[in-house]
Amino acid sequence: MMADRVIFVCTLVLAAVYFYATAQIPSLEIGDPLGPKAFPRLLGIGLLITAGMLFMEMRRARKTEMPRSEHAQPGDRRHFAIVAAAVVWTGLYFAVFEWLGYAIATAVYLFALTACFNRGKWTANALTSVLFSFISYFMFTRLLDVTLARGILPF
Amino acid sequence: MDTLTHILNGFAVCLQPVNLWYTFLGVFMGTIIGVLPGIGPSAGIALLIPVTFGMDPTPALIMMAGIYYGTKYGGSTTAILIRTPGEAASVMTTIDGYEMARKGRAGAALAVSAIGSFIAGTIGVVALTLFAVPLTSMALKFGPAEYFTLMLFAMTAVASLSGKSPAKGMLSTILGLMIATIGIDLQSGQARFTMDVPEFQDGVGFIVVVVGLFAVAEVFRGMENLYKGTAPQMIRISGKLWLTKEEWRRSVGPIWRGGIIGFVIGVLPGAGGTIASILSYTTEKRLSKHPEEFGKGAIEGVAGPESANNSDTAGAMVPLLTLGVPGGGATAVMLGAFIMYGIQPGPLLFQSRPDLVWGLVDSMYIGNIMLLILNLPLIGLFVRLLYIPSGILYPLIVAISVIGTYAINGSMLDLYLILLFGVVGYIFDKVDIPVAPLVLSLVLGGIMEQSFRQAMTISSGSPAVFVGSGITVTLVVLSVISIALPFILPRLKALKSSSDNED
Repeated sequence: MMADRVIFVCTLVLAAVYFYATAQIPSLEIGDPLGPKAFPRLLGIGLLITAGMLFMEMRRARKTEMPRSEHAQPGDRRHFAIVAAAVVWTGLYFAVFEWLGYAIATAVYLFALTACFNRGKWTANALTSVLFSFISYFMFTRLLDVTLARGILPF
Repeated sequence: MDTLTHILNGFAVCLQPVNLWYTFLGVFMGTIIGVLPGIGPSAGIALLIPVTFGMDPTPALIMMAGIYYGTKYGGSTTAILIRTPGEAASVMTTIDGYEMARKGRAGAALAVSAIGSFIAGTIGVVALTLFAVPLTSMALKFGPAEYFTLMLFAMTAVASLSGKSPAKGMLSTILGLMIATIGIDLQSGQARFTMDVPEFQDGVGFIVVVVGLFAVAEVFRGMENLYKGTAPQMIRISGKLWLTKEEWRRSVGPIWRGGIIGFVIGVLPGAGGTIASILSYTTEKRLSKHPEEFGKGAIEGVAGPESANNSDTAGAMVPLLTLGVPGGGATAVMLGAFIMYGIQPGPLLFQSRPDLVWGLVDSMYIGNIMLLILNLPLIGLFVRLLYIPSGILYPLIVAISVIGTYAINGSMLDLYLILLFGVVGYIFDKVDIPVAPLVLSLVLGGIMEQSFRQAMTISSGSPAVFVGSGITVTLVVLSVISIALPFILPRLKALKSSSDNED
């Protein structure tokens, strides 16, 4: 399978990067015979062993399984686009989070997502988005003393 | 007799009004989390940690445990009514539970899972009470080398059992350990792998990782399914919420057997509730005089697995409380909660804070009674939750995750990290890399490195210390077996079948 090959290569690359980063840790090794590098080195070796296990599993899978047609189904790409859009939208939400403040940013974030995934029910979506954002804001900041970004709100 | 006094004192602790209230709150939230898709016990507990931070640890931990075993009750409701496990361990219940519901016996299916959960859950807590003390006296003999090898065994067992591929489980485990090495090294004060980001000096918080992997990733998956239009149909509850005499007679055996299977599997690291319920299901099918009914609405197929996944939670508390080493994802998050409160579970805790340990264990008896009431007469209330459109529910889960994460220390980096781990969790699910091993090793990573270095210091640098006692040798052998077995087993089978053919 294609995905397994990618995982295998990523594992090797990660092991190399991790070994390199471990070597960069300055260590004085006073009073501590092992120093801060020993355990990470062990993990790097563990990762190489894992890569070996992945390789064995891939070989076994090739032997036992007939070449299945693993082509992406026609709808797959669109589903992927939906998830990607949700990820980008969430990133945007975080980008304006402290500037707009929790309550307003969350209300806008929720309204757009519910409009997309709970289509047509505008009133319910708008009410849920606004009420949830403001009620949770006041509940957490006033009753539970949890800090949430205030942003441009005066309260 | 000392222990008995402590156990009885535990009841005095957990019967205090404030602790009763938090037990109730925990099991109530647990049931809701179990019923709702998109959020499980791990994310639920992790999100509560920052909010409960100022609280006294006893009620806070009682509440978190309540969430943990409460989700198993709630998970069955969704499995029976919409054939979707509300919680991973309810997956076997979807088979016969949903078929019973289609035949108009939804009431009986819900009743048997609540009653079975109660009986098995109580069996589990009794066993936990009985086994805890002998195990702690053994654990007192553990030194750093024993702890290191014990954690090694827990991790390898979880790695090889939690997914389809042991190699991918190992990959997940090592990734978790690597994330755990980010931050200031406690012994030398040296910053490691911080990539010059000042926030990383404190390390990557496990709450952030758990919320990303278990809540945000689940939301992305749910949104994808919504778009595919695979939202399931719901069956309304019909019939009385009780069993006929015949149904009860058929359920008693599976409940008892499920309770015992679940507890044993729960104590062992790695396996967890899902495997306990699968084992119980196959056991019942094999013992049944009419195995052909399984898959067509056999009540044994609901009673057994539902009981097993409940006593499993009590079993899973055994290694967590007595050794301080959890055997799965959700108990790892519980350990994280303990540590956040400055409490290290393990044999010493039974001596230093018996009120906390036994208050927590005894609260599970009471929590199970509360859950029986919540899930039988009041089940209709929770079923209403299933009418919340998923299109609204999923965005709300993100918002709740944001509150819980930002509450830790108001860090924007943490928010971006839950998004990052959300994407990672989504991709890992697509390529069959399990995430539970990552969470377990992330929580244990720091302790594991400390015990590794302590052991090596004691032995003045000789690795022979890890095979220096009977306990370490056994644990090392078990670790090697749990990793190697999945590779050797198919070869042995192939050898056997080829020699059979030659005969």
